[in-house]
Amino acid sequence: MDPLTPIAAEDASTSAHPPRPFIVGAWALAMSVAVCLLVYLYVTVPGPWLSHAQPVHWDARALSVPRGSAQPNADGLALLAPDASGLTLVAVSTSLRASDYPQIIWETSQVSDGVKATLIWRNDYQPGRIFSRELEIVGGRIAAGQLARDSNWIGNINGLALVLRGTFTPPILVRGVTAKPMTAAEVLFDLVDEWLTFEPWSGTSINNRTGGVEVQEVPLTLLLAFVVGLAATTYVTLTRWRTRWVGPFRPVVIAGMFLVAWFILDVVWQWNLIRQIELTAAQYAGKSWRERHLAAEDGRLFDFIDKVRAALPPPPARVFMIAETNFLRGRGAYHLYPYNVYFDPWQNTVPPASAMRSGDYLVVFQRKGVQYDAAQQRLRWDGAAPVSAELLLVDSGAALFRIR
Amino acid sequence: MEYVALALGLALPWALGIAVLAALQWPVGAASASEACALRIGYGYCIGALLLTLWMRGVSAIGLRFGWSSIAAPLAVITVGLCVYAVRRGQLSFTAIPATIRSLLRPELPRWQQLLWTFILSWLALRYALLAAEIAWRPLYPWDAWIQWATKARVWYELGYMAPFVTGDRWLAGAPGAFFDASPNYPATVPLLQVWSCIALGRWDDTVMNWPWLLLLIALVVAVYGALRGEVVRPLPALLGAYLVASLPLLDVHVALAGYADLPMAATYTLAALALYRWALRRDVRDAIVALFLALCGALIKTPGIVWMLTLLPGVIVALLPRRGMRIVGAAFAITALLLLVLARTDTTLLGYPLHLDFQLSWRPLSEGLFLFGNWNLLWYGAIALAFCAWRHLREPKLAPLAVIVAAGLGFLLMVAWFTIASAWLAEQTTFNRATLHLAPLVICLSVLLWHELVQPMTAMAGSAPGPSPDDPSARGGGMPEA
Repeated sequence: MDPLTPIAAEDASTSAHPPRPFIVGAWALAMSVAVCLLVYLYVTVPGPWLSHAQPVHWDARALSVPRGSAQPNADGLALLAPDASGLTLVAVSTSLRASDYPQIIWETSQVSDGVKATLIWRNDYQPGRIFSRELEIVGGRIAAGQLARDSNWIGNINGLALVLRGTFTPPILVRGVTAKPMTAAEVLFDLVDEWLTFEPWSGTSINNRTGGVEVQEVPLTLLLAFVVGLAATTYVTLTRWRTRWVGPFRPVVIAGMFLVAWFILDVVWQWNLIRQIELTAAQYAGKSWRERHLAAEDGRLFDFIDKVRAALPPPPARVFMIAETNFLRGRGAYHLYPYNVYFDPWQNTVPPASAMRSGDYLVVFQRKGVQYDAAQQRLRWDGAAPVSAELLLVDSGAALFRIR
Repeated sequence: MEYVALALGLALPWALGIAVLAALQWPVGAASASEACALRIGYGYCIGALLLTLWMRGVSAIGLRFGWSSIAAPLAVITVGLCVYAVRRGQLSFTAIPATIRSLLRPELPRWQQLLWTFILSWLALRYALLAAEIAWRPLYPWDAWIQWATKARVWYELGYMAPFVTGDRWLAGAPGAFFDASPNYPATVPLLQVWSCIALGRWDDTVMNWPWLLLLIALVVAVYGALRGEVVRPLPALLGAYLVASLPLLDVHVALAGYADLPMAATYTLAALALYRWALRRDVRDAIVALFLALCGALIKTPGIVWMLTLLPGVIVALLPRRGMRIVGAAFAITALLLLVLARTDTTLLGYPLHLDFQLSWRPLSEGLFLFGNWNLLWYGAIALAFCAWRHLREPKLAPLAVIVAAGLGFLLMVAWFTIASAWLAEQTTFNRATLHLAPLVICLSVLLWHELVQPMTAMAGSAPGPSPDDPSARGGGMPEA
């Protein structure tokens, strides 16, 4: 047999171009990312992928409130209440080409679920008419209005307004309104921005972590899972149909794709953690235990309880803790231990006076319905019969009583 | 000076746990010194911390006051005694520790693996440093921590014994010497850990008292590495498995915002299951002792701990009855599911107690929490894909005990999500995510082992690979080429 048989020729070609499974795997991963993002852009970008138009932003100072009441503050414009017909109207004067700006975003927060939001506008094609589009409320915010496919979003838009129907408490905050051209680059930037938005600690962090903004177009976790799945499928297919080029199937390539995707998520998490540490350090670093508590969210409460503890006899006195909110009630009780504290963890209630003994103490912190007659030294709450009590300490919205 | 005392106080349960394991001559059959070292370090802290809390219960029960003399001194004596015993039995060599630690931190690996190894350890070190900063600076933060866990810690630390906590109506009725908080019936293990930290420091400090949470995470990660190495997983994949555990975002959150019992529960349950798995494969009574101890103590961490530890029973059944065990467990699962559905459809009462369950099938919040939010990275995608590709290996005798434990755990989670009052909280992503945290590290361990079983034949066919490192148990025969 001629040594230069097809087998030998195959060996020669294989040795000249050895399989590079890891490079193929990396390309498969990169291609999958590109395909997924291209598909996302195809589905999402409403108009041209490229545009010279730049986003236009109007801050709260440019807004007017022709209907309803509002008050400017440091964060923007606080909408306090609707008018008599239940409407609030926030308007801004504009002059922009509809075709250049298919998306309008009202930057809002604290929007109650019962409120209905509508975007209204005028254009120069039919100046006498007002056009409207219902906007969704998601996570306490008004979602962006996508107007590219609205037949009335044409010509020059010379007036925008946000109409809110319904009552609301607390006040709705409006920081401004932005018209966005929604180019491919901007859509991608917004997507990445959603993933990388800082998620600070909150009361729900111990239970759940969103991974960026609360509501995302495409969660990064889902995207990466899809990318890995697509890349792994591509690699497996190539090992089956192009074995000479890719080499035999090597599971470590799949594992490598999975770990790279996992590590990307971990980098995002670590980045969030680093930003959180910066905030934590600014708030607490270098302080003593007491100073840290004074710097915390319940610093005022801690300060008052500190004074209460100084006014109380040594433990184990019985102390009742009442406050309007569960948080203040619970935290107040926590700071009072090891005094023998009673509080209602779940409701704003006060035990009946019959449950209190002479020598017990009552701590009141920002709680309505408590009345004290200093002349007669009588204390009562929630309209119940008064009890004899001595006022030991008083602060703004807070007091300590000893039951007689 | 107080921080030196704190460091010694935090080291005490670790030294105690390691000494107990060394005296017990555990782990048995470790193929390498680094594997044994990792297991002792990882299990040592968890076991030592639990023993510490048991000791403190005893101290309080006999009327002694908490303090260095009643807690640290006797435990230190016990630790030293156990160490001496272990040294005499050849189970502990202080002179070998530096070399063992070195081999653990820098095993002999091919160059690129060495670089990756160093990078992973550095990345983890950075993670732990960030978490340590949060613990060191932030006062007690999450809700349950200050309304029902640290409440007991504060009272017990100040009084020096475990004063009883009672319900509100009993407190109002005038239970003498009793205290009240939001959950008076919660177990004492977690508050006792916090009490000890404050005793070691010499004062009450609700930031410092949370250092055990970081130590638990480190111990869990080291133990997972040791457990994976014990099952012939090569050093780098074992470290990657440990990294996957260490990088679970929700697990890290429970360290940064320490004070909940979910991380101690997760660590104890995972280590109990892995010890049980060791026993299932090796049938050494010492593995069973470790597993049993952790399982019993797990019930003392959280109220659902009892149920979590019961999910270990299917693993015992499968281990004891290799041929019929899977069928028995499968039948038990089916009967349980049927019973749940019957109770959901009927209004049965037993001894005057209504047994009706509310069946609320809700997929959306469940899938959001597991697959879309940033709690678990790609864990559940990977676990499901792997189970789909390698489900046959899950039924094989080697992995079956661990697989049925995980299946029982998943069944428990689904039961909680769909049949109990917790279903009402599912949409808020609260209880369910924290319950899932108890199982997640074990799912990662099973996934790594399953991957190892899946790729072994494939990599054997893929061709030769660089020779294994001297520390690699695969070098002792039956080893696999590099994956």
